Amino acid sequence: MTHAKSKIWALSLGILLAYVPVSAQRAKSTAYDSDRKLKLSGTVTRIDWVNPSAFVFINVKDAVGTVANWAVEIGNPLDLQRDGWKWNSLHIGDSIAVEGIPARGAARQTLATSVILSKTGARLFTASTKPKPKPVSAPTPRWPDGHPRLGPPPGKTGYWGAPSSTVLVENTGVAIPMNKDGLLNNIADADKVAPFQPWAKAVYEYRQRTLFKDDPYNRCIPPGGVRHFQNHYGVQFIEQPEVKRILLLMGGGDRNWRIIYTDGRPIGHKDELVLTYYGASTGKWDGDTLVVDTVGFNEKFWFTNGGLPHTEALHLTERFTRSDFNTLKYQVTVDDPQAYTRPWSGGWNIQWVPDEDIQEYFCEENAESIFSR
Amino acid sequence: MFQLGFLTFFLAVAVSALAQQGHPLTGTWNGDWGPTPTERTQITIVMTWDGKAVNSIINPGADASTGIVSLDPTNWTVRLEADVKDKSGKPVHVIADGKLEDVGAYHRTIIGTWRQGTVNGNFKLTRD
Repeated sequence: MTHAKSKIWALSLGILLAYVPVSAQRAKSTAYDSDRKLKLSGTVTRIDWVNPSAFVFINVKDAVGTVANWAVEIGNPLDLQRDGWKWNSLHIGDSIAVEGIPARGAARQTLATSVILSKTGARLFTASTKPKPKPVSAPTPRWPDGHPRLGPPPGKTGYWGAPSSTVLVENTGVAIPMNKDGLLNNIADADKVAPFQPWAKAVYEYRQRTLFKDDPYNRCIPPGGVRHFQNHYGVQFIEQPEVKRILLLMGGGDRNWRIIYTDGRPIGHKDELVLTYYGASTGKWDGDTLVVDTVGFNEKFWFTNGGLPHTEALHLTERFTRSDFNTLKYQVTVDDPQAYTRPWSGGWNIQWVPDEDIQEYFCEENAESIFSR
Repeated sequence: MFQLGFLTFFLAVAVSALAQQGHPLTGTWNGDWGPTPTERTQITIVMTWDGKAVNSIINPGADASTGIVSLDPTNWTVRLEADVKDKSGKPVHVIADGKLEDVGAYHRTIIGTWRQGTVNGNFKLTRD
């Protein structure tokens, strides 16, 4: 490979790596085969500028003149717009050259790593290579009573996004190679992920081996458990001290919400609760850390990326510490004696996204165009 | 009394219907068994996982019985042993050995052999 070619591929790969988590209503590991690469040239026939991922459809002519229509996944519209691309950057009838990763199986679909507009030579993803400016450093904002503010200060906007990790593993200090969807490089590492009961380990390994094909999130089931904190689309804290509760709004879960009561009510018991995707949460302050206990989860969803199972006995204890203006430390203890042999903990940091609100997002927005294709 | 029984059954089904992604045996399973393709008997089994054992109720209602269920997650084989009543009301022992298929699917199945008393047959259960 020439130096120039390797630079282009490295650039494209970098773009892809930066880009993969942002359009992940479906895990990329599930849909695409990253071991293969694909080049296509064709004419744009349709543009679907919709969540969770925009698609361009092109007619591609093969060597004998047969035309086939391909779906080219180009990314989440919100992220594309932030990178300077708009729904009308491409037009029906434009000729484009696409490099990408092909879909698994026989589907004529690819995840674009680069798209070049033939008539101008403009590269669709150029803007993504620009480093994002670091937010200005500032101390933790506080309420008059001294508690840290978890949301924006008065007159400001912002939310929590860009988690430092999108997977949950037991915090043992041992590095476990896996991708951003939580797909292990080596299935033999499963024992290092969490202290599974035998059935739970078998289910976890099954989900890994089948590349998360049964992930309920793929079918727009909400990201309950810790999963909304692994989501690129972020969360927003709406604190209401006057009524002693905190609302959590999810950027990646179809305008979902979660309520954390801080009025001192006791934690519920699952047998007395209507089991839900987000459970029943109570919170209290421990110094500068908000400690939230949640029970009452149903079993209809995966509570984290990577396919770790849980049962209705799941009890999460989350600790939120805003260590400075731009950093939220998220630690969680998983206690599910029906799936794990003991309680275990993990966590990551979440970055403040200043001067923006979480965006409207509906995961099924492109269901008609893609899934019924 | 019928209404109460129906309500109890309905609630049992409704509660178990919440379970989809937890222990793979948890839920309500419907299907049949029989010695031939045409001679079949319908069965309903409600299974729950308590963290140590799978509990099962076979044919919930007036003729319900409990069974002992074991799962080998290394190969997804399932064994059920129970004492049930046959069509004449006499107690009869059941041993069913099956395999859980398509573990991650909402409507997964268990398929295998069913021995009820001296009668050998096969069975298929699908989770609702």
